[in-house]
Amino acid sequence: MSRRRSPGQVLGRVGLVLLAVPALAAVFAPLVARHSPTRPSARPLLRPSAGHPLGTDDLGVDIFAQLVYGSRISLAIGLGAAVLAVVVGLTVALVAGWRRGWTEAVLMRLTDVTLAFPFLPLVLVLAAFFGRGLIVTAVVIGAVTWARPARVLWAQVLKLREYPHVQAARAMGATGTRCVCRHILTRLTPVTSAQFVRVANAAIISEAALAFLGLGDPNQASWGIMLSNASSNNALLTGAWKWWMVPPGLALTLVVLGFAFTGYASEEWADPRLASPTGRLRFLNSRGRRRRAPAPSPATEVRADGPILSVQDLVVHYDPQGPAVVRGVTFDAPRERITALVGESGSGKSTIVMALLGLLPGDPKVTGEATFEGRKLLSAAAAARVRGRKIGFVTQAAMNALNPAYTIHFQVAEAAALTMPASDARRRATELLETVGLPASDHAAYPHELSGGMRQRVIIAMALANKPDLLIADEPTTGLDLVTQASILKLLGDLKDSLGLTVLLISHDVQMVMRVADELVILQDGCVVERRPINTVAADPQQEYTRRLLNTRLSPLAVRV
Amino acid sequence: MGSEAGSVSALAETDPERPTNFGVQTDNAWSGLVPVGRQLLRALPLSLLVLAVAICLNFALPRLAPGDPIDFLIPAEQANKITHEQRMELASAYGLQGSTGEQFLRYLGNLAKGDLGTSTRYGAPVRELLADRLPWTLLLVGTSVLLSTIIGAALGFRSAWRRGSGSDVRTLTGVMVLDSFPPFFVALLLVLLFSVTLKLLPVFGALPGSEAHGLDFLAEVLRRAILPIAALTLSGLGSAFLVARSSAVTELGEDYVTMAAAKGLDGAGVRRHARRNALVPVWTVGMLNVGALFGGAAPVETVFAYPGLGRLIYESVLSRDYPVLQGAFLLIAAGVIAANLIAELVYPYLDPRVRRPGNVGS
Repeated sequence: MSRRRSPGQVLGRVGLVLLAVPALAAVFAPLVARHSPTRPSARPLLRPSAGHPLGTDDLGVDIFAQLVYGSRISLAIGLGAAVLAVVVGLTVALVAGWRRGWTEAVLMRLTDVTLAFPFLPLVLVLAAFFGRGLIVTAVVIGAVTWARPARVLWAQVLKLREYPHVQAARAMGATGTRCVCRHILTRLTPVTSAQFVRVANAAIISEAALAFLGLGDPNQASWGIMLSNASSNNALLTGAWKWWMVPPGLALTLVVLGFAFTGYASEEWADPRLASPTGRLRFLNSRGRRRRAPAPSPATEVRADGPILSVQDLVVHYDPQGPAVVRGVTFDAPRERITALVGESGSGKSTIVMALLGLLPGDPKVTGEATFEGRKLLSAAAAARVRGRKIGFVTQAAMNALNPAYTIHFQVAEAAALTMPASDARRRATELLETVGLPASDHAAYPHELSGGMRQRVIIAMALANKPDLLIADEPTTGLDLVTQASILKLLGDLKDSLGLTVLLISHDVQMVMRVADELVILQDGCVVERRPINTVAADPQQEYTRRLLNTRLSPLAVRV
Repeated sequence: MGSEAGSVSALAETDPERPTNFGVQTDNAWSGLVPVGRQLLRALPLSLLVLAVAICLNFALPRLAPGDPIDFLIPAEQANKITHEQRMELASAYGLQGSTGEQFLRYLGNLAKGDLGTSTRYGAPVRELLADRLPWTLLLVGTSVLLSTIIGAALGFRSAWRRGSGSDVRTLTGVMVLDSFPPFFVALLLVLLFSVTLKLLPVFGALPGSEAHGLDFLAEVLRRAILPIAALTLSGLGSAFLVARSSAVTELGEDYVTMAAAKGLDGAGVRRHARRNALVPVWTVGMLNVGALFGGAAPVETVFAYPGLGRLIYESVLSRDYPVLQGAFLLIAAGVIAANLIAELVYPYLDPRVRRPGNVGS
């Protein structure tokens, strides 16, 4: 999966090939075409023949020569306008982004105003007044299209300004010009080239449209003018379209496509996130099973006092060819207790949870065995059956775990509606939000109107919506202040007692875990190094790693707990 | 607002930094206003400024362009035969006498009265010519903006859900190929296929002969609009597709998507969550497409001899009828500015963070 080339790499190559053809034609035009593209060389309106591969036009000019020489015009207009627009846009972006203040305000308002104009009508009216020459056309198109690169590049400059190494260079006394050249221009290259390609593309299409509307340079044979001539000579009805209309139209299309493909490749270069193939999310295409009881699957007999979740030899590769991130992990989560999975970042603790819930992105390889209430868990279908119903999940990074577009009450009710009618679900949502400590006045709030701690309570309410037997909490207190951390932990403890929940708590923070957990599982590099009830660990850590973890993290205060 | 993760056209259309509009902040002092009112205060200054620039540009162009502004009022075939007296007459008829300042004031006064001058070709008021043509272009552009946004967004979302798969790459490539055909070339090919070869649809004009009445008349008008609408829709499809795909891909990377799956929603439920937020940039680009398609309408209407604004522009270019050209430019600019303003006004209803700013959580 990840070894495959990204679409941009493939498209970029195809694009370069598509552009190479007209580029070669433009350079070697006199060698390729034997006739003049502007002077008559035979009788008018000839059909294709050996001497005139595409026939002649209404004046007797060789159409093949026009086609070959037309590449010069399209490329010259495209590149000329793009150079102009990008130079102006880059200058505006750098000056505005670097000087800030009034200069920036004026320049960016100017950019906004230019952007707000309808592009082609403006080019049209400018070309109508300023003439039809090739250079005028390129300048007019460049003068109208500089604003988009200016705005996009300006946003980049603002971002780059704040980069540590740029700030450090400034602090060390580097002058503005030096900073800009050294640190900013080099990093702007990908985005700049993406914008360059866009303008070139727009310029070529506009030139063709202008020429087609009678605003082209009548002394040059451009593809747009060829189409316009063919059209006004009724090529469609006489059959001449085959050699007079299709070749220039396709030539235009292929050049534009070549620019579009290379543009896509440079967008990927500018933003590598677009190329990363990890985007595949299998749960996006899972089939619905709304409001139906979980399908019975072969279950071994469940002992009432046995562990609710049992994991054996779990191995996870993100990438079938890559290294194992989780390397043979075995542990149990005993009923109605809090089991803590502790390890430093990179130890594989979140990966274990995501693998159990079937939420890993891409095409991971998961082997080993996990049983939940006696049923096997490690298949997409099995995970989908229990997710949100039997197993509630409280995610890491609760700040962004709620959809900004929906009210919190809606989002909790939506979860509850999986197992009950909509009206009951709404009632249940109100009840749950009150249980986790959110007053009724906040229920209609959107996530952005709540603090981090309140959002985390909403997530907990969501996880409890369908009365799960197991609650998995992945770093539930990350990013919260100490007081809020304590209150969230207390809430989890209270819920465990009042609802008879089993909790699997994932954390990097031994100190925090010691306060609430009953069982401790310590992970290092994807392996379990210690697995025991918590009170025995603190008194007598068996492993060197555990001892180190406890010594570095444990404050005297926590030892007493 | 959307991140930089845009692809080809998406990148530009979803800037991370939206125009700040003269530093006017949507802060708490205004949170008592209804969202539309607040948004109007935010977006109106820019709209008015752009309109003012368009009006000034319209006045300045014939005066900045090489040659005497009066030259632009003389039909090409009479350029050499005209006498000095006739030139003076023209100058006074078109308000070209007096100082530039006086001319500008007169121009603004006429504009305020809705007087856009007189066509040098038809001798009719420009306003009447525009009013005759505008409905046809609105029919074409309005329908194609709607269709291209809906179809493009549907395809773009579908591609995003299957991102990286063969079907995604095929759709992406297909849409980019389609998007690379110049609109008027598509129009020519459509004529060739449906009118010349298959003889299914009429080629030219918007109105049927006088014999059709009632529903028949309407059906015939629609039949004549199909091909121009198809050509314009195809040309607007690409940007809607690309922005929908890239904004949905960006949303899929957000934590709330994983959370939606974790709380038990099925694929359709999770996709609905992502789509709800990805629609915001799609809406913005849809409204920007209004401007692009007004531009594209000129060559397309020309191919179909469709009696809209675009065809009028083409005719006035050919006959050097500059007052009409300027009037059409002003009208299109005003329409596009209005479309952008509407996009801004609707924005708060799509994003609650804009609708209800303030007391942002810590």
